[in-house]
Amino acid sequence: MVETFLRATLLGVQLGMTLALIAAGLTLIFGMLDVINFAHGALYMLGAYFGAVIAVNLGSFWLALVLAPLLVGLIGAAIEVLSLRPLYGRNPLYHILLTFGFAIMIQGAIVQIWGGQARRIAQPDLLTGTLSIGSLNYPIYRLFVLVVSTVLIAAVWLAIDRSNLGILMRASAHDTEMVDALGIDVSKVFTSVFVFGAVLAGLAGVLLGASRSVNPGMGMGIIIEAFVIVVIGGLGSFRGAVYAGLLIGLVTAYGALIAPTLTDLFLFGLMAVVLMIKPNGLFGTTEAA
Amino acid sequence: MGYALPFTGTYAMLGESIVNGFELYLEQSDGEIDGQEVETVERDTEADTNRGVDVTRELMVEEQADAIVGPVSSSVAIAMMQTIENEASAIWLNANAGDYRVVEEGCLNYHFRTSFNDWQTSAPLAEWVYDNVADNVCLAYADYAFGQNSKNFFQKAFEEAGGEVVDEVGAPLGTDDYSTYLSDIESSGADAVFSFFAGSDAVNYISDFADYGLDAEMTQVGSGFLLSEDTLPAQGEAALGMYSLLHYTPTQETDRNQEFIGNYREAYDSSANVYACQGYDSAQAFAAAVAEAGSSDPDEMANALGGMELDSPRGSFRFNSETHEAIQNMYVREVVESDGDQPVENQVVETIDSVESPNWGCNLE
Repeated sequence: MVETFLRATLLGVQLGMTLALIAAGLTLIFGMLDVINFAHGALYMLGAYFGAVIAVNLGSFWLALVLAPLLVGLIGAAIEVLSLRPLYGRNPLYHILLTFGFAIMIQGAIVQIWGGQARRIAQPDLLTGTLSIGSLNYPIYRLFVLVVSTVLIAAVWLAIDRSNLGILMRASAHDTEMVDALGIDVSKVFTSVFVFGAVLAGLAGVLLGASRSVNPGMGMGIIIEAFVIVVIGGLGSFRGAVYAGLLIGLVTAYGALIAPTLTDLFLFGLMAVVLMIKPNGLFGTTEAA
Repeated sequence: MGYALPFTGTYAMLGESIVNGFELYLEQSDGEIDGQEVETVERDTEADTNRGVDVTRELMVEEQADAIVGPVSSSVAIAMMQTIENEASAIWLNANAGDYRVVEEGCLNYHFRTSFNDWQTSAPLAEWVYDNVADNVCLAYADYAFGQNSKNFFQKAFEEAGGEVVDEVGAPLGTDDYSTYLSDIESSGADAVFSFFAGSDAVNYISDFADYGLDAEMTQVGSGFLLSEDTLPAQGEAALGMYSLLHYTPTQETDRNQEFIGNYREAYDSSANVYACQGYDSAQAFAAAVAEAGSSDPDEMANALGGMELDSPRGSFRFNSETHEAIQNMYVREVVESDGDQPVENQVVETIDSVESPNWGCNLE
């Protein structure tokens, strides 16, 4: 019993941190660019597919972990520069439709190129097997995912909170014209934020692609969860995404223990309760909402 | 001849394989059946029940199809039954949808299962498991109709064989992470687990099973879709040593099958799978029905097919004249290392001859 609870907790935290990694990009892009990026799930999926191809052809998980997110970042840059940039300042509906279109196009392209079959990124030999924690056996790879996502989340948090770049990002989002007037190219800041969000999604894709199947439905599957997290945490709040990610991870893991078929109900129920008590999400500001 | 199959969405790959199999047969007979050129019409069911019904009516009324091949999804098949019965203008070659209720609730003279049903892919494995693997099991299944049917059929047959089901665990369709379910399975203390999962669920489930080291503690057995050609490449070595039951295995060493596999590879530059075999046999059934009936009248074709035997790559099988289900061999397969282009493959370890399903109250004779 204790073991089951412990395993669910570990799983919940691991799931939470990876979900936070995905939601972080989504919420950063919304917070800074005011864009609801429906293509985020598709970028995550692209990361997984690029990772799978690189891992097979170059025979290295580690190369896949580095190269695939960078490729996704390039595609993110193309999307931002060529299509989103001309639409800034318009009704958010334009961004939603545009990015939703990209999600469908990317999914279609993936089916065309790689077919509909599920695949998987092979885990590196170094990380296979299980680790015994007392009487509990836990896969080493999952612990690796937990550590990597936690370190990344912490690094991004620090960067936003403390570094000059973070200050610049927040300032650009807060008062675009003022930053522009100070002689800083805001459009470059926006592109960087979008690319950074895409890289995080791609990275999560590779990380999870080695512990769950890589398939053409994975992008649409994850985007709903990511949006629930962003809404619970407060639109645009990075801190909110991290806490909400952890919350959703734990709810999913414990929910599966209590009533497996009701997991989705728990998620959306939780979202409804949070929104009733705090309409702007846990860490949302009235401005962001 | 009309295809009522999914060409887009999750099941698109299955629809494509069925068409490939059917057209391979047509090509081999110069596009003709009984001296007449066969015209094929493709309609996308999108695996949606409403679309399935519309497509069926369209194929029968507007396109005047003599045979309908499809669908993939059982819920679409159940929705189609009424239309097929009302129009009564074509035979229905059910090339995949395996829910037993198509026969139990429909019991249509025009319906012929060129594929399998959910009883066949689970129940016959029970006795083999009891004799060769373990006398107690835990059941694990994707919590939807096909998964529930499969575990219920297996449970009944396993208990009849003398075995004990110690626990059961249902996971929602589309679960990405099976950790918590696996800890339930592990704590059941069973020596073996019978599972039904398919597609990417099967990939995730089997991979997690191996990740947690459960493969060292208990034996994994299941329906053939748990470990099939569309999931094995992704499951890889995690699947080694696991057993499953299906009516078709591409590695079968019979001349008939090797010829089929070779021709298929030549035509489509890819490996034949169970769906391709079902498509191919649908074409064989259509050709045999026309030849035997001497016309494409649906009632005459249906009468001709009842009880008829077909020489299939899966091994010859015949249509039960009471239910029009396939009476066929079922194969217990073990996942073994392969020297082919994939790391692992299924190898037949036991053949269960001419498995006849219950008739579920359907008697067409």
